[in-house]
Amino acid sequence: MSEVERFSINKARSLTGRAETSGENVSRIRAIFGGAVLAFLIAAAIFAPLIAPHDPVLDDLLLINMPPAWLNSNPGHYGIDNPWSYPLGTDSLGRDVASRLIYGARVALIVGFSVACIASVAGVFLGALAGFYGGWTDAVIGRVVDIWVAFPPVLLSIILVALLGTSLTSVIVVVAVIDWTRFARVVRADVLRQKNRDYIEAARIAGSSEISILIREVFPNVLPLLVTLFFFEVGIAITVETILSFVSLSVSSGSVTWGDMIAEGRRVLNESWWVMGFPVLVLIATILGLNAIGDAMRYYLDPVLSR
Amino acid sequence: MLGVSVVVFAILRLVPGDPIAMMLPPGATEETRQNLERLYGMDKPLIEQYFIWLRDVLHLDFGMSTQFRLPVMEVIFNRLPVTLELVLLASIIALTLSFALSVLAVWIQRDGATLIIDGASGLTQAIPDFLWALIFIFFVTLYAPSIPISGRYDPRTAQDFITGFYLIEALITLRLGTFAELLRHAILPAFALALPLAASITRLLKSALEEAMSEDYAILARTKGKSRIAIILGEALRNALIPVIALTSVQLAFLIGGTVLIERLFSLPGIGSTAITAVVNRDLPLIQGVVLVFAALFIAINLISNGLYRLADPRLGKTDE
Amino acid sequence: MKKITGMILGASLSAGMAAADDSTLAIAYNVSLPSWDATVGPSAVNPTIQSIYKSVFDQYIDQNPDLSFRPGLLTEWGWNEDGSKIRMVVREGALWHNGDPVTASDIVWSLERAGKEETGNPIQFLWSTIGNFTIDGNVIEADVLRYDPTIFKWMAFLTAYVLPKDYYESVGAEGFEKNPVGSGPYMVDEYVANSFARLKRFDGYWGPKPEFETVIFKFVPDASARVAEVETGASDITLEIPYEEYDRLAAKDGLEGVTTPVSDIGMIFINDVGVMEDSNVRKAAAHAINKNLIIERLLRGYGVRIDTLQAPQYSAFNPDTLVAYDPDLAKKLLAASGYSEENPVKFKIQTTRGFKPKDYEIIQVIAGMWKRVGIEAEIEVYEIAKHFDLRARDELAPAAFYNWGNSIGDPSTSTGFAMFGPSPHSTWDTEDLDAMIGPLWGEKDESRRIDGFKAVDAYIAENAMVIPLLQFVQPIVFREGLSVTPHVANFLLPQNVVSQ
Repeated sequence: MSEVERFSINKARSLTGRAETSGENVSRIRAIFGGAVLAFLIAAAIFAPLIAPHDPVLDDLLLINMPPAWLNSNPGHYGIDNPWSYPLGTDSLGRDVASRLIYGARVALIVGFSVACIASVAGVFLGALAGFYGGWTDAVIGRVVDIWVAFPPVLLSIILVALLGTSLTSVIVVVAVIDWTRFARVVRADVLRQKNRDYIEAARIAGSSEISILIREVFPNVLPLLVTLFFFEVGIAITVETILSFVSLSVSSGSVTWGDMIAEGRRVLNESWWVMGFPVLVLIATILGLNAIGDAMRYYLDPVLSR
Repeated sequence: MLGVSVVVFAILRLVPGDPIAMMLPPGATEETRQNLERLYGMDKPLIEQYFIWLRDVLHLDFGMSTQFRLPVMEVIFNRLPVTLELVLLASIIALTLSFALSVLAVWIQRDGATLIIDGASGLTQAIPDFLWALIFIFFVTLYAPSIPISGRYDPRTAQDFITGFYLIEALITLRLGTFAELLRHAILPAFALALPLAASITRLLKSALEEAMSEDYAILARTKGKSRIAIILGEALRNALIPVIALTSVQLAFLIGGTVLIERLFSLPGIGSTAITAVVNRDLPLIQGVVLVFAALFIAINLISNGLYRLADPRLGKTDE
Repeated sequence: MKKITGMILGASLSAGMAAADDSTLAIAYNVSLPSWDATVGPSAVNPTIQSIYKSVFDQYIDQNPDLSFRPGLLTEWGWNEDGSKIRMVVREGALWHNGDPVTASDIVWSLERAGKEETGNPIQFLWSTIGNFTIDGNVIEADVLRYDPTIFKWMAFLTAYVLPKDYYESVGAEGFEKNPVGSGPYMVDEYVANSFARLKRFDGYWGPKPEFETVIFKFVPDASARVAEVETGASDITLEIPYEEYDRLAAKDGLEGVTTPVSDIGMIFINDVGVMEDSNVRKAAAHAINKNLIIERLLRGYGVRIDTLQAPQYSAFNPDTLVAYDPDLAKKLLAASGYSEENPVKFKIQTTRGFKPKDYEIIQVIAGMWKRVGIEAEIEVYEIAKHFDLRARDELAPAAFYNWGNSIGDPSTSTGFAMFGPSPHSTWDTEDLDAMIGPLWGEKDESRRIDGFKAVDAYIAENAMVIPLLQFVQPIVFREGLSVTPHVANFLLPQNVVSQ
């Protein structure tokens, strides 16, 4: 193995290698916390129409910038009886912040998981191809990966989305297209490492086809790292979507995004902090949760770590 | 790098959109339009445009920025120092913070302290750099209005610099007052960029140190009566350094990308904020130049970290599996 | 670490005090100046940066804060009787920043340069309508090659700046970018692109001396950062901030505010495609919008309702052309075409986001108002660059929000360019309207021209060929002790700022 390759393996490992020495207790806490956050988000996304108290996009110009329920000392001023019908207050168009957060979870999860799925499938496929066949396949894919990673992801996604036009699809495609290399590198390096191991040789001598060896023997070994990377990628995709929304370049209209809420809330931050404050908290909790669950999964799936 | 250039050109020219159309004022005629097209060489076939462009790029000539009407290279070279200084300062902050914290955590060796440092770094890492910037701007406005939030220095005071690297130049020429003033302007954006990076390095370094401390040589040194801190700073740190260099070089790419938003929020005239104005104004020659420069920066960082890597681990270049 | 922070804070206090200087005015400006040549390239027609150009350069003809015209470097101007020649008298005693006198040949050179295609003046099509200049002392005469009734109004508008012939020719275009020389009240002292421009008062200026010796335009593109700039005292003035923040800052101790309606209007372009060919749909869309409610609630009162493309300060403004808010009528019109709330008519509306105050929010509210009468609009957000692109190719969505600036207030530069089919900037093109506008381009009788445009506006309003929404209001916040005269043309001119 060349020095450069080893280098990139180490890089890939270190990118996700945050939990290397953590013990079982920490992993359990992480799993519970991450799982809870994720379950909560998924539930919110799926049942959004049932649990959201209001239409997330319908404005009501009489209810502009109403504070959260517990701070709303004078609901009569806004013409409503029960401040708790708008638990987290309203934004500068009189829309319910809580409902928008709930619907925003939909976009966040759709973007996050679609990107992670596309990027991981494409990355695993191309990475395995390169690692297993070597030769010119490896050279071509390796070259493409090298070119790809030379571009700063945030800048590239801003440019691409600006030029392609804003829509849910273009955001997903752009982020996935930029991030697949992360998976490809890890898989390629691990496949290379495993390929020359004795047990693979043994399987080959026993007559297994290369593909089945790949699937049966190599894949389980890379899986823990992949799962961690997957959740990590979900978090990255959500963050990038937020950044794009923040520079007004994301999903347009109809759908509500946290990035939108942050960007809109920022303009009225000094007057009504809750419009920006809650989406920021939710975003941070989501990323924390995803990181935690990724780390925990790695612990549980890795046969060496969870011995 | 050649591959990078093809991708850059392809991405930017093959997308829908007409950069000429937006330069036209109300009431322009078709004739004006054709003139502008000729001016920017956009009336030729695409392949020809690419080869002309490539030839020019090889001569470091990226054409004229449609927005600034100056050579793209000049625009970029004027702004690059701002970004480089910002990135450098952020890296220094991130490394200092993370080394101090992780050594501290391993040294104290108490569950409480470890938990606090773990929790804090986990939380810090989950907050993207632009959010840090927003948080800083908000609180500074409220509680510390004397800390500046825009620009590199107060333009009310005339400054005299030969290079674009103001901070470094002020330090070398020992203009300490100026240096402090520059630092005061750079501190918030640098911290916003540095914090997420510091958090991830801290987490990695801490676990690497812990691992190293449980290795035989560390235990051996302990039995020889060496103090804990001496072992941490001596043997363990050296061994933990390798993954840290790898991580830092990967994260630096993100950090450079992060300058795009940070520079805009803090009104810094670097290539990050230039990139945004170029995108908004569809200044294609400038976008191409900026992307290529970012890519070159990344490659440079990779080469440097490769070198450092070999320094930290002399075994590397010798053995080969 | 703590020690260093302490030092920095200490340094900041002393630096902060040293910076409080009465002779300096710091403006936190919303856009970054890309280029110093105000006559060529895309930045020349960018209305938002004209304030900086107007501080450094003189125009042929100037404008008062109420948009009326006043002498610039020309003191007299006009046509001869049959409109075949123009005559201009050049101001005497004006100086360039390098000390040379401003001469008639500078003016002629600037006008001829603007009319040449190869210089890249975006308004070249207009400047080329005059030619064959002759100079006699400080009097210039020229032939009218193609009559344009707005030529002198344009002399106070975009790209109408006078540059120094000899200096420009000796340093060249790039040299001029680096060391620009104008004849305006301020000269460029230092300029750092994307960061700031520091200007010094020009003592040889022919007009009234501005009060501040040094003016700094800090380029702060982020609105919240601009708010922080004035709030922390780092800048003395800022503009283009959210109205919520304006209200908060203006009420704050130590800060004051002023607002003025400016020559910039918000409108919805209608493209005559698909369902928009049905006049019932267009009229319903127009009648369903409660502009007053949008202005009162969403814009906190900072906006002026308009029903034609003319703001009240413009020369063809007609207060009698009105489009009423009437949701019931909208429903009836839609019903006549077979649409209802259950079976809504569907089309796409495009809008910018964050380009003008509350642009995206306005469109969201309008979509809500439409929903209530039976119009289902799908909102698409685009960059302003994409808007120009689509408009030039006439591929805008059936409805598209845009803001149209027109600081000379002439109907030809609002209704004319926006609605005349052959204009590359129109979206609406039908023969009936073109037949009405066409003859007005060369109309030599000014009052007949204006009346003609008023009739066009009424026809447009009646048939809902465009939906004018409101005139924007510019909020300006400044530190106590200053007095700012706002300019309807949306300029923030340092020469119009004095201390009380």
